[in-house]
Amino acid sequence: MTADERIIETTELTKTFPGGIVALDRFSLTVRRGEVVVVIGPSGSGKSTFLRCLNGLEEIDSGSIVIDGIPLDHHRKNRLLIRQEVGMVFQSFNLFPHMSVRENIDLAQVRVRKKTPAQAAEATMELLKKVGIAEKADRYPHELSGGQQQRVAIARALAMTPKVMLFDEATSALDPEMIGEVLEVMRALATEGMTMIVVTHEMGFAREAGDRIVFMETGRIVEEAETERFFGSPHMERTKAFLSQIL
Amino acid sequence: MRALFHRTAAARRTAFIDIGKFFLVAGIALWLLTVGTPGLGYHWQWYRVPRFLFTIQEGVWTAGPLLQGLLVTLEISALSLLCTLVLGLTTALFRLSASFTARALARSYLELIRNTPLLIQIFFVYFVLSPVLDIGAFASAVLALSLFEGAYAAEILRAGIVSLQRGQWEAAHSLGLNLFDAYRYVILPQAVRRVLPPLTGQAISLVKDSALVSTIAIYDLTMQGQTIVAETFLAFEIWFTVAAIYLILTFGLSLAVRAMERKMSGAPLRMLGGPA
Ligand SMILES: Nc1ncnc2c1ncn2[C@@H]1O[C@H](COP(=O)(O)OP(=O)(O)OP(=O)(O)O)[C@@H](O)[C@H]1O
Ligand SMILES: [Mg+2]
Repeated sequence: MTADERIIETTELTKTFPGGIVALDRFSLTVRRGEVVVVIGPSGSGKSTFLRCLNGLEEIDSGSIVIDGIPLDHHRKNRLLIRQEVGMVFQSFNLFPHMSVRENIDLAQVRVRKKTPAQAAEATMELLKKVGIAEKADRYPHELSGGQQQRVAIARALAMTPKVMLFDEATSALDPEMIGEVLEVMRALATEGMTMIVVTHEMGFAREAGDRIVFMETGRIVEEAETERFFGSPHMERTKAFLSQIL
Repeated sequence: MRALFHRTAAARRTAFIDIGKFFLVAGIALWLLTVGTPGLGYHWQWYRVPRFLFTIQEGVWTAGPLLQGLLVTLEISALSLLCTLVLGLTTALFRLSASFTARALARSYLELIRNTPLLIQIFFVYFVLSPVLDIGAFASAVLALSLFEGAYAAEILRAGIVSLQRGQWEAAHSLGLNLFDAYRYVILPQAVRRVLPPLTGQAISLVKDSALVSTIAIYDLTMQGQTIVAETFLAFEIWFTVAAIYLILTFGLSLAVRAMERKMSGAPLRMLGGPA
Protein backbone atom coordinates (compact mmCIF):
# COMPACT_ATOMS: atom_id res chain seq x y z
CA MET A 1 0.00 0.00 0.00
CA THR A 2 1.44 3.37 -0.94
CA ALA A 3 1.10 6.30 1.42
CA ASP A 4 -1.45 7.84 -0.89
CA GLU A 5 -3.66 4.77 -0.80
CA ARG A 6 -3.87 4.72 2.96
CA ILE A 7 -6.76 6.88 4.10
CA ILE A 8 -6.93 5.78 7.72
CA GLU A 9 -3.85 4.95 9.71
CA THR A 10 -4.10 4.13 13.36
CA THR A 11 -1.12 2.92 15.32
CA GLU A 12 -0.95 1.50 18.81
CA LEU A 13 -4.18 3.05 20.05
CA THR A 14 -4.85 2.60 23.72
CA LYS A 15 -7.89 3.74 25.60
CA THR A 16 -8.57 3.00 29.24
CA PHE A 17 -11.82 4.09 30.82
CA PRO A 18 -12.08 5.24 34.42
CA GLY A 19 -12.33 2.11 36.49
CA GLY A 20 -9.45 0.54 34.61
CA ILE A 21 -11.45 -0.94 31.74
CA VAL A 22 -9.11 -1.31 28.78
CA ALA A 23 -11.25 -0.67 25.72
CA LEU A 24 -8.38 -0.42 23.21
CA ASP A 25 -5.07 -2.15 23.74
CA ARG A 26 -2.34 -1.19 21.26
CA PHE A 27 -4.81 -1.38 18.43
CA SER A 28 -3.43 -0.72 14.95
CA LEU A 29 -5.35 -0.75 11.70
CA THR A 30 -4.75 0.76 8.28
CA VAL A 31 -7.55 1.22 5.78
CA ARG A 32 -7.17 1.70 2.04
CA ARG A 33 -9.14 4.24 0.03
CA GLY A 34 -12.40 2.65 -1.09
CA GLU A 35 -12.01 -0.32 1.20
CA VAL A 36 -14.90 -1.73 3.24
CA VAL A 37 -13.65 -3.05 6.56
CA VAL A 38 -16.09 -4.96 8.75
CA VAL A 39 -15.27 -5.09 12.45
CA ILE A 40 -16.76 -7.90 14.48
CA GLY A 41 -16.27 -9.10 18.02
CA PRO A 42 -18.09 -9.91 21.23
CA SER A 43 -19.87 -7.27 23.28
CA GLY A 44 -17.47 -4.99 25.13
CA SER A 45 -14.54 -5.79 22.86
CA GLY A 46 -13.99 -2.13 22.00
CA LYS A 47 -15.58 -1.88 18.56
CA SER A 48 -17.59 1.25 19.33
CA THR A 49 -14.70 2.79 21.19
CA PHE A 50 -12.49 2.35 18.14
CA LEU A 51 -14.99 4.09 15.84
CA ARG A 52 -15.59 6.85 18.36
CA CYS A 53 -11.87 7.50 18.69
CA LEU A 54 -11.57 7.82 14.91
CA ASN A 55 -13.60 11.03 14.87
CA GLY A 56 -12.59 12.34 18.22
CA LEU A 57 -15.77 11.56 20.14
CA GLU A 58 -13.51 9.68 22.51
CA GLU A 59 -9.96 10.75 23.26
CA ILE A 60 -7.19 8.18 22.99
CA ASP A 61 -4.65 7.79 25.79
CA SER A 62 -1.80 7.04 23.43
CA GLY A 63 -1.13 6.07 19.84
CA SER A 64 -1.79 8.03 16.70
CA ILE A 65 -4.63 8.51 14.27
CA VAL A 66 -4.10 10.03 10.83
CA ILE A 67 -7.03 10.39 8.48
CA ASP A 68 -6.43 11.48 4.89
CA GLY A 69 -3.14 13.01 5.98
CA ILE A 70 -4.63 14.97 8.89
CA PRO A 71 -3.39 13.94 12.32
CA LEU A 72 -6.05 13.79 15.02
CA ASP A 73 -4.18 15.60 17.78
CA HIS A 74 -4.90 18.19 20.38
CA HIS A 75 -5.59 20.88 17.81
CA ARG A 76 -9.25 21.63 17.80
CA LYS A 77 -8.97 22.68 14.18
CA ASN A 78 -7.71 19.27 13.07
CA ARG A 79 -10.43 17.55 15.01
CA LEU A 80 -13.09 19.64 13.28
CA LEU A 81 -11.43 18.99 9.90
CA ILE A 82 -11.42 15.26 10.52
CA ARG A 83 -15.02 15.26 11.63
CA GLN A 84 -15.93 16.96 8.39
CA GLU A 85 -14.28 14.17 6.44
CA VAL A 86 -15.63 11.32 8.55
CA GLY A 87 -19.34 10.56 8.60
CA MET A 88 -20.80 8.50 11.40
CA VAL A 89 -23.99 6.50 11.68
CA PHE A 90 -25.11 5.47 15.15
CA GLN A 91 -27.09 2.53 16.41
CA SER A 92 -29.69 4.90 17.88
CA PHE A 93 -29.96 7.16 14.77
CA ASN A 94 -29.54 10.37 16.81
CA LEU A 95 -31.58 12.49 14.44
CA PHE A 96 -32.38 15.98 15.66
CA PRO A 97 -36.00 15.58 16.80
CA HIS A 98 -36.87 19.28 16.56
CA MET A 99 -35.98 19.48 12.88
CA SER A 100 -37.69 18.06 9.85
CA VAL A 101 -35.88 15.46 7.75
CA ARG A 102 -34.87 18.19 5.33
CA GLU A 103 -33.52 20.44 8.08
CA ASN A 104 -31.59 17.58 9.64
CA ILE A 105 -29.76 17.08 6.35
CA ASP A 106 -29.42 20.78 5.47
CA LEU A 107 -27.90 21.88 8.75
CA ALA A 108 -24.27 20.85 8.39
CA GLN A 109 -24.20 21.65 4.69
CA VAL A 110 -25.11 25.24 5.46
CA ARG A 111 -23.25 25.70 8.73
CA VAL A 112 -20.13 23.66 8.06
CA ARG A 113 -19.81 23.39 4.29
CA LYS A 114 -21.07 26.97 3.90
CA LYS A 115 -23.47 26.13 1.10
CA THR A 116 -26.33 28.46 0.32
CA PRO A 117 -29.72 27.16 1.46
CA ALA A 118 -30.67 26.58 -2.18
CA GLN A 119 -27.56 24.51 -2.88
CA ALA A 120 -28.13 22.53 0.29
CA ALA A 121 -31.78 21.92 -0.53
CA GLU A 122 -30.84 20.52 -3.92
CA ALA A 123 -28.22 18.16 -2.47
CA THR A 124 -30.63 17.11 0.26
CA MET A 125 -33.29 16.08 -2.24
CA GLU A 126 -30.71 14.10 -4.22
CA LEU A 127 -29.64 12.27 -1.08
CA LEU A 128 -33.19 11.58 0.01
CA LYS A 129 -33.88 10.07 -3.41
CA LYS A 130 -30.77 8.01 -3.09
CA VAL A 131 -31.86 6.52 0.24
CA GLY A 132 -35.39 6.16 -1.08
CA ILE A 133 -37.41 8.51 1.10
CA ALA A 134 -37.75 11.71 -0.91
CA GLU A 135 -41.45 11.85 -0.02
CA LYS A 136 -40.63 12.20 3.69
CA ALA A 137 -38.60 15.42 3.34
CA ASP A 138 -40.97 17.51 5.43
CA ARG A 139 -41.71 14.91 8.07
CA TYR A 140 -40.28 14.90 11.55
CA PRO A 141 -38.11 12.04 12.83
CA HIS A 142 -40.78 10.76 15.20
CA GLU A 143 -43.14 10.35 12.26
CA LEU A 144 -40.81 7.87 10.56
CA SER A 145 -40.15 4.17 11.07
CA GLY A 146 -36.81 3.08 12.47
CA GLY A 147 -35.55 2.02 9.07
CA GLN A 148 -36.54 5.35 7.56
CA GLN A 149 -34.90 7.26 10.41
CA GLN A 150 -31.66 5.38 9.93
CA ARG A 151 -31.73 6.11 6.21
CA VAL A 152 -32.16 9.80 7.00
CA ALA A 153 -29.20 9.55 9.38
CA ILE A 154 -27.11 8.04 6.59
CA ALA A 155 -28.20 10.79 4.20
CA ARG A 156 -27.33 13.39 6.84
CA ALA A 157 -23.81 12.00 7.18
CA LEU A 158 -23.41 11.75 3.41
CA ALA A 159 -24.47 15.37 3.00
CA MET A 160 -21.04 16.36 4.28
CA THR A 161 -19.55 14.43 1.34
CA PRO A 162 -17.27 12.58 3.74
CA LYS A 163 -14.25 10.57 2.60
CA VAL A 164 -14.94 7.88 5.18
CA MET A 165 -18.16 6.51 6.67
CA LEU A 166 -18.31 4.78 10.04
CA PHE A 167 -21.28 2.56 10.91
CA ASP A 168 -21.70 1.50 14.52
CA GLU A 169 -24.25 -1.32 14.55
CA ALA A 170 -26.48 0.70 12.26
CA THR A 171 -29.11 -2.03 12.09
CA SER A 172 -29.04 -3.37 15.65
CA ALA A 173 -31.89 -1.20 16.90
CA LEU A 174 -34.15 -2.04 13.97
CA ASP A 175 -37.05 -4.43 13.67
CA PRO A 176 -36.06 -7.39 11.47
CA GLU A 177 -38.21 -6.30 8.54
CA MET A 178 -36.39 -2.95 8.35
CA ILE A 179 -32.83 -4.21 8.47
CA GLY A 180 -32.84 -5.04 4.77
CA GLU A 181 -33.64 -1.53 3.55
CA VAL A 182 -30.77 -0.03 5.56
CA LEU A 183 -28.27 -2.70 4.54
CA GLU A 184 -29.27 -2.09 0.94
CA VAL A 185 -28.29 1.57 1.21
CA MET A 186 -25.00 0.58 2.82
CA ARG A 187 -24.31 -1.98 0.12
CA ALA A 188 -24.93 0.62 -2.58
CA LEU A 189 -22.47 2.95 -0.87
CA ALA A 190 -19.85 0.22 -0.78
CA THR A 191 -20.34 -0.46 -4.47
CA GLU A 192 -19.84 3.22 -5.24
CA GLY A 193 -16.40 3.00 -3.69
CA MET A 194 -16.99 4.72 -0.35
CA THR A 195 -14.40 3.92 2.29
CA MET A 196 -16.31 2.32 5.14
CA ILE A 197 -15.67 0.83 8.54
CA VAL A 198 -18.69 -1.15 9.56
CA VAL A 199 -19.33 -2.64 12.98
CA THR A 200 -22.11 -5.16 12.57
CA HIS A 201 -23.52 -8.52 13.54
CA GLU A 202 -24.92 -9.02 10.04
CA MET A 203 -22.60 -11.69 8.70
CA GLY A 204 -24.46 -11.79 5.40
CA PHE A 205 -23.56 -8.16 4.82
CA ALA A 206 -19.99 -8.75 5.98
CA ARG A 207 -19.48 -11.55 3.44
CA GLU A 208 -21.07 -9.68 0.59
CA ALA A 209 -19.88 -6.13 1.02
CA GLY A 210 -16.78 -6.48 3.19
CA ASP A 211 -13.34 -6.43 1.61
CA ARG A 212 -11.68 -7.30 4.88
CA ILE A 213 -12.86 -8.56 8.26
CA VAL A 214 -11.31 -7.56 11.57
CA PHE A 215 -12.15 -9.69 14.56
CA MET A 216 -11.36 -8.02 17.86
CA GLU A 217 -11.59 -8.92 21.52
CA THR A 218 -10.60 -7.05 24.69
CA GLY A 219 -9.34 -4.12 22.68
CA ARG A 220 -7.00 -6.08 20.42
CA ILE A 221 -7.16 -7.55 16.95
CA VAL A 222 -7.42 -11.31 17.22
CA GLU A 223 -7.46 -11.90 13.49
CA GLU A 224 -7.85 -9.87 10.32
CA ALA A 225 -8.06 -11.13 6.79
CA GLU A 226 -9.64 -10.75 3.36
CA THR A 227 -13.31 -11.64 3.65
CA GLU A 228 -13.11 -14.95 1.80
CA ARG A 229 -10.07 -16.14 3.69
CA PHE A 230 -11.52 -15.00 6.99
CA PHE A 231 -14.75 -16.95 6.67
CA GLY A 232 -13.26 -19.77 4.59
CA SER A 233 -10.26 -20.67 6.69
CA PRO A 234 -9.88 -18.73 9.90
CA HIS A 235 -6.48 -19.29 11.51
CA MET A 236 -7.17 -18.63 15.14
CA GLU A 237 -9.10 -20.99 17.38
CA ARG A 238 -10.80 -18.01 19.00
CA THR A 239 -12.08 -16.85 15.63
CA LYS A 240 -13.45 -20.28 14.82
CA ALA A 241 -15.22 -20.42 18.17
CA PHE A 242 -16.72 -16.97 17.69
CA LEU A 243 -17.85 -17.70 14.14
CA SER A 244 -19.46 -20.97 15.15
CA GLN A 245 -21.38 -19.04 17.77
CA ILE A 246 -22.83 -16.41 15.50
CA LEU A 247 -23.19 -18.21 12.16
CA MET B 1 -63.51 0.83 24.56
CA ARG B 2 -65.91 0.35 27.45
CA ALA B 3 -63.15 0.52 30.02
CA LEU B 4 -61.87 3.69 28.39
CA PHE B 5 -65.33 5.24 28.54
CA HIS B 6 -65.71 4.38 32.19
CA ARG B 7 -62.35 5.83 32.98
CA THR B 8 -63.06 9.17 31.29
CA ALA B 9 -66.48 9.35 32.93
CA ALA B 10 -64.89 8.74 36.30
CA ALA B 11 -62.22 11.32 35.58
CA ARG B 12 -64.90 13.83 34.67
CA ARG B 13 -66.78 13.09 37.88
CA THR B 14 -63.71 13.68 40.07
CA ALA B 15 -62.99 16.88 38.14
CA PHE B 16 -66.50 18.11 38.92
CA ILE B 17 -66.07 17.26 42.58
CA ASP B 18 -62.71 19.08 42.63
CA ILE B 19 -64.14 22.19 41.05
CA GLY B 20 -67.07 22.05 43.49
CA LYS B 21 -64.69 21.85 46.42
CA PHE B 22 -62.71 24.78 45.11
CA PHE B 23 -65.77 27.04 44.87
CA LEU B 24 -66.92 25.94 48.30
CA VAL B 25 -63.60 26.90 49.90
CA ALA B 26 -63.31 30.13 47.91
CA GLY B 27 -66.90 30.99 48.86
CA ILE B 28 -66.22 30.44 52.56
CA ALA B 29 -63.09 32.61 52.36
CA LEU B 30 -65.03 35.41 50.66
CA TRP B 31 -67.87 35.12 53.18
CA LEU B 32 -65.44 35.28 56.10
CA LEU B 33 -63.93 38.41 54.61
CA THR B 34 -67.29 40.14 54.14
CA VAL B 35 -68.58 39.27 57.60
CA GLY B 36 -65.17 39.99 59.11
CA THR B 37 -64.51 43.46 57.82
CA PRO B 38 -67.63 45.13 59.34
CA GLY B 39 -66.29 43.78 62.63
CA LEU B 40 -63.15 45.81 61.96
CA GLY B 41 -65.31 48.80 61.32
CA TYR B 42 -63.94 49.03 57.83
CA HIS B 43 -65.82 51.13 55.28
CA TRP B 44 -65.37 49.86 51.80
CA GLN B 45 -64.93 52.79 49.47
CA TRP B 46 -64.34 51.12 46.12
CA TYR B 47 -65.77 54.19 44.35
CA ARG B 48 -62.62 56.12 45.25
CA VAL B 49 -60.31 53.62 43.55
CA PRO B 50 -60.82 54.21 39.78
CA ARG B 51 -59.27 57.66 39.76
CA PHE B 52 -56.00 56.16 40.97
CA LEU B 53 -56.06 53.98 37.91
CA PHE B 54 -57.01 56.59 35.35
CA THR B 55 -59.00 59.75 34.90
CA ILE B 56 -60.95 61.06 31.94
CA GLN B 57 -61.36 64.79 31.70
CA GLU B 58 -63.07 66.34 28.70
CA GLY B 59 -62.49 63.16 26.78
CA VAL B 60 -58.75 63.14 27.57
CA TRP B 61 -57.55 59.91 29.11
CA THR B 62 -54.85 60.26 31.78
CA ALA B 63 -53.14 57.38 33.55
CA GLY B 64 -53.37 57.54 37.33
CA PRO B 65 -50.52 56.68 39.69
CA LEU B 66 -51.32 52.96 39.72
CA LEU B 67 -51.10 52.64 35.94
CA GLN B 68 -47.97 54.76 35.91
CA GLY B 69 -46.55 52.42 38.49
CA LEU B 70 -47.60 49.46 36.39
CA LEU B 71 -45.69 50.93 33.47
CA VAL B 72 -42.54 51.18 35.59
CA THR B 73 -43.03 47.60 36.82
CA LEU B 74 -43.43 46.47 33.21
CA GLU B 75 -40.30 48.30 32.11
CA ILE B 76 -38.22 46.91 34.93
CA SER B 77 -39.58 43.40 34.49
CA ALA B 78 -39.11 43.32 30.72
CA LEU B 79 -35.54 44.65 30.86
CA SER B 80 -34.64 42.39 33.76
CA LEU B 81 -36.14 39.38 32.01
CA LEU B 82 -33.97 40.00 28.99
CA CYS B 83 -30.84 40.39 31.13
CA THR B 84 -31.85 37.36 33.21
CA LEU B 85 -32.01 35.16 30.14
CA VAL B 86 -28.67 36.38 28.81
CA LEU B 87 -27.01 36.04 32.19
CA GLY B 88 -28.66 32.70 32.90
CA LEU B 89 -27.61 31.26 29.57
CA THR B 90 -24.05 32.54 29.90
CA THR B 91 -23.76 31.12 33.40
CA ALA B 92 -25.22 27.76 32.36
CA LEU B 93 -22.72 27.51 29.49
CA PHE B 94 -19.89 28.54 31.82
CA ARG B 95 -20.85 25.81 34.26
CA LEU B 96 -20.77 23.24 31.47
CA SER B 97 -17.61 24.64 29.93
CA ALA B 98 -14.33 22.76 29.77
CA SER B 99 -12.52 25.74 31.26
CA PHE B 100 -11.88 25.61 35.00
CA THR B 101 -11.96 29.40 35.29
CA ALA B 102 -15.35 29.63 33.64
CA ARG B 103 -16.78 26.89 35.83
CA ALA B 104 -15.38 28.41 39.02
CA LEU B 105 -16.70 31.84 38.10
CA ALA B 106 -20.16 30.47 37.47
CA ARG B 107 -20.16 28.47 40.70
CA SER B 108 -19.09 31.46 42.82
CA TYR B 109 -21.76 33.65 41.28
CA LEU B 110 -24.47 31.03 41.86
CA GLU B 111 -23.51 30.37 45.47
CA LEU B 112 -23.24 34.05 46.27
CA ILE B 113 -26.63 34.92 44.81
CA ARG B 114 -28.57 31.94 46.02
CA ASN B 115 -27.39 32.20 49.59
CA THR B 116 -28.20 35.84 50.25
CA PRO B 117 -31.63 37.53 50.39
CA LEU B 118 -32.78 39.47 47.35
CA LEU B 119 -33.56 42.53 49.47
CA ILE B 120 -29.95 42.68 50.66
CA GLN B 121 -28.75 42.30 47.08
CA ILE B 122 -30.93 45.20 46.00
CA PHE B 123 -29.58 47.36 48.83
CA PHE B 124 -26.04 46.31 48.04
CA VAL B 125 -26.37 47.21 44.37
CA TYR B 126 -28.15 50.47 45.11
CA PHE B 127 -26.10 51.77 48.03
CA VAL B 128 -22.69 50.25 47.29
CA LEU B 129 -22.41 49.48 43.59
CA SER B 130 -24.44 52.26 42.06
CA PRO B 131 -22.22 55.12 43.33
CA VAL B 132 -19.18 53.18 42.11
CA LEU B 133 -20.67 52.37 38.72
CA ASP B 134 -22.41 55.74 38.59
CA ILE B 135 -25.83 54.30 37.75
CA GLY B 136 -29.26 55.43 38.89
CA ALA B 137 -31.96 53.68 40.89
CA PHE B 138 -33.66 52.23 37.82
CA ALA B 139 -30.49 50.65 36.47
CA SER B 140 -29.66 49.39 39.97
CA ALA B 141 -33.05 47.73 40.17
CA VAL B 142 -32.64 46.02 36.81
CA LEU B 143 -29.11 44.94 37.67
CA ALA B 144 -30.06 43.50 41.07
CA LEU B 145 -33.11 41.68 39.75
CA SER B 146 -31.23 40.25 36.77
CA LEU B 147 -28.36 39.06 38.95
CA PHE B 148 -30.80 37.35 41.28
CA GLU B 149 -33.14 35.71 38.79
CA GLY B 150 -30.26 34.95 36.42
CA ALA B 151 -28.80 32.54 38.96
CA TYR B 152 -32.00 30.52 39.03
CA ALA B 153 -32.51 30.70 35.29
CA ALA B 154 -28.95 29.40 34.87
CA GLU B 155 -29.69 26.28 36.88
CA ILE B 156 -32.93 25.68 35.00
CA LEU B 157 -31.19 26.02 31.63
CA ARG B 158 -28.31 23.82 32.72
CA ALA B 159 -30.74 21.12 33.81
CA GLY B 160 -32.39 21.32 30.40
CA ILE B 161 -29.07 21.05 28.58
CA VAL B 162 -27.80 18.04 30.53
CA SER B 163 -31.16 16.28 30.20
CA LEU B 164 -30.56 15.80 26.48
CA GLN B 165 -29.23 12.46 25.34
CA ARG B 166 -25.51 12.25 24.73
CA GLY B 167 -26.32 11.10 21.20
CA GLN B 168 -27.48 14.59 20.26
CA TRP B 169 -24.05 16.00 21.07
CA GLU B 170 -22.33 13.15 19.30
CA ALA B 171 -24.42 13.58 16.16
CA ALA B 172 -23.70 17.31 16.16
CA HIS B 173 -19.97 16.76 16.67
CA SER B 174 -19.74 14.01 14.10
CA LEU B 175 -21.21 16.36 11.50
CA GLY B 176 -18.36 18.77 12.17
CA LEU B 177 -20.47 21.45 13.83
CA ASN B 178 -18.42 23.63 16.14
CA LEU B 179 -19.43 24.16 19.74
CA PHE B 180 -21.34 27.36 19.01
CA ASP B 181 -23.38 25.85 16.19
CA ALA B 182 -24.01 22.66 18.17
CA TYR B 183 -25.47 24.71 21.00
CA ARG B 184 -27.35 27.09 18.77
CA TYR B 185 -29.00 24.67 16.36
CA VAL B 186 -29.08 21.33 18.14
CA ILE B 187 -28.82 21.59 21.90
CA LEU B 188 -30.43 24.85 22.99
CA PRO B 189 -33.61 24.65 20.90
CA GLN B 190 -34.38 21.30 22.51
CA ALA B 191 -33.20 22.23 25.99
CA VAL B 192 -35.14 25.50 26.12
CA ARG B 193 -38.29 23.79 24.93
CA ARG B 194 -37.95 21.25 27.71
CA VAL B 195 -37.51 23.79 30.49
CA LEU B 196 -40.05 26.31 29.26
CA PRO B 197 -42.46 25.60 32.16
CA PRO B 198 -39.93 26.20 34.99
CA LEU B 199 -38.45 29.10 33.03
CA THR B 200 -41.89 30.68 32.87
CA GLY B 201 -42.19 30.17 36.61
CA GLN B 202 -38.95 32.06 37.02
CA ALA B 203 -40.22 34.90 34.84
CA ILE B 204 -43.32 35.09 37.02
CA SER B 205 -41.14 35.19 40.13
CA LEU B 206 -39.24 38.04 38.56
CA VAL B 207 -42.40 40.10 38.08
CA LYS B 208 -43.42 39.47 41.69
CA ASP B 209 -39.92 40.06 43.07
CA SER B 210 -39.78 43.37 41.24
CA ALA B 211 -42.10 44.69 43.99
CA LEU B 212 -39.02 44.83 46.22
CA VAL B 213 -37.48 47.61 44.15
CA SER B 214 -40.02 49.92 45.79
CA THR B 215 -37.55 49.95 48.68
CA ILE B 216 -35.03 51.95 46.69
CA ALA B 217 -37.38 54.80 45.80
CA ILE B 218 -38.59 53.50 42.48
CA TYR B 219 -42.17 54.38 41.80
CA ASP B 220 -43.29 51.00 40.58
CA LEU B 221 -46.73 49.54 41.11
CA THR B 222 -46.06 48.59 44.73
CA MET B 223 -44.51 51.94 45.64
CA GLN B 224 -47.46 53.80 44.09
CA GLY B 225 -49.84 51.61 46.08
CA GLN B 226 -47.95 52.36 49.27
CA THR B 227 -48.05 56.10 48.61
CA ILE B 228 -51.77 56.11 47.89
CA VAL B 229 -52.53 54.06 51.01
CA ALA B 230 -50.46 56.45 53.12
CA GLU B 231 -52.44 59.40 51.80
CA THR B 232 -55.94 57.94 51.67
CA PHE B 233 -56.03 54.99 54.12
CA LEU B 234 -57.77 52.92 51.46
CA ALA B 235 -55.59 49.97 52.48
CA PHE B 236 -57.92 47.11 51.53
CA GLU B 237 -59.14 48.52 48.25
CA ILE B 238 -55.74 49.61 46.98
CA TRP B 239 -53.88 46.44 47.98
CA PHE B 240 -56.62 44.28 46.45
CA THR B 241 -56.34 46.31 43.26
CA VAL B 242 -52.55 46.13 43.21
CA ALA B 243 -52.66 42.39 43.81
CA ALA B 244 -55.19 41.98 41.01
CA ILE B 245 -52.94 43.89 38.62
CA TYR B 246 -49.97 41.65 39.45
CA LEU B 247 -52.20 38.64 38.97
CA ILE B 248 -53.30 39.80 35.54
CA LEU B 249 -49.69 40.46 34.62
CA THR B 250 -48.36 37.06 35.67
CA PHE B 251 -51.35 35.18 34.33
CA GLY B 252 -50.99 36.98 31.01
CA LEU B 253 -47.33 36.02 30.96
CA SER B 254 -48.01 32.33 31.43
CA LEU B 255 -50.78 32.44 28.81
CA ALA B 256 -48.38 34.05 26.36
CA VAL B 257 -45.73 31.40 27.00
CA ARG B 258 -48.26 28.63 26.62
CA ALA B 259 -49.36 30.04 23.28
CA MET B 260 -45.73 30.27 22.20
CA GLU B 261 -45.12 26.69 23.32
CA ARG B 262 -48.03 25.44 21.26
CA LYS B 263 -46.80 27.29 18.24
CA MET B 264 -43.28 25.97 18.71
CA SER B 265 -44.24 22.34 19.09
CA GLY B 266 -46.40 22.44 16.00
CA ALA B 267 -44.33 24.31 13.51
CA PRO B 268 -40.92 23.43 12.15
CA LEU B 269 -38.01 25.59 13.14
CA ARG B 270 -37.21 27.92 10.31
CA MET B 271 -33.77 28.69 11.51
CA LEU B 272 -31.66 28.19 8.45
CA GLY B 273 -33.52 30.79 6.45
CA GLY B 274 -34.27 30.40 2.77
CA PRO B 275 -36.37 27.59 1.43
CA ALA B 276 -34.97 25.07 3.92
N1 LIG C 1 -17.94 5.93 28.61
C1 LIG C 1 -17.46 4.79 29.14
N2 LIG C 1 -17.10 4.74 30.44
C2 LIG C 1 -16.60 3.61 30.98
N3 LIG C 1 -16.46 2.47 30.32
C3 LIG C 1 -16.81 2.45 29.01
C4 LIG C 1 -17.33 3.60 28.37
N4 LIG C 1 -17.60 3.28 27.08
C5 LIG C 1 -17.24 1.98 26.95
N5 LIG C 1 -16.77 1.48 28.09
C6 LIG C 1 -16.26 0.11 28.30
O1 LIG C 1 -15.25 -0.13 27.34
C7 LIG C 1 -15.35 -1.45 26.86
C8 LIG C 1 -15.50 -1.41 25.35
O2 LIG C 1 -16.75 -0.84 25.04
P1 LIG C 1 -17.30 -0.68 23.56
O3 LIG C 1 -18.58 0.03 23.65
O4 LIG C 1 -16.25 -0.13 22.69
O5 LIG C 1 -17.56 -2.21 23.15
P2 LIG C 1 -18.31 -2.78 21.87
O6 LIG C 1 -17.38 -3.73 21.25
O7 LIG C 1 -18.82 -1.69 21.03
O8 LIG C 1 -19.50 -3.58 22.52
P3 LIG C 1 -21.00 -3.77 21.99
O9 LIG C 1 -20.95 -4.88 20.99
O10 LIG C 1 -21.75 -4.19 23.21
O11 LIG C 1 -21.46 -2.48 21.44
C9 LIG C 1 -16.52 -2.09 27.56
O12 LIG C 1 -16.02 -2.86 28.62
C10 LIG C 1 -17.32 -0.93 28.07
O13 LIG C 1 -17.96 -1.28 29.27
MG1 LIG D 1 -20.75 -0.96 20.52
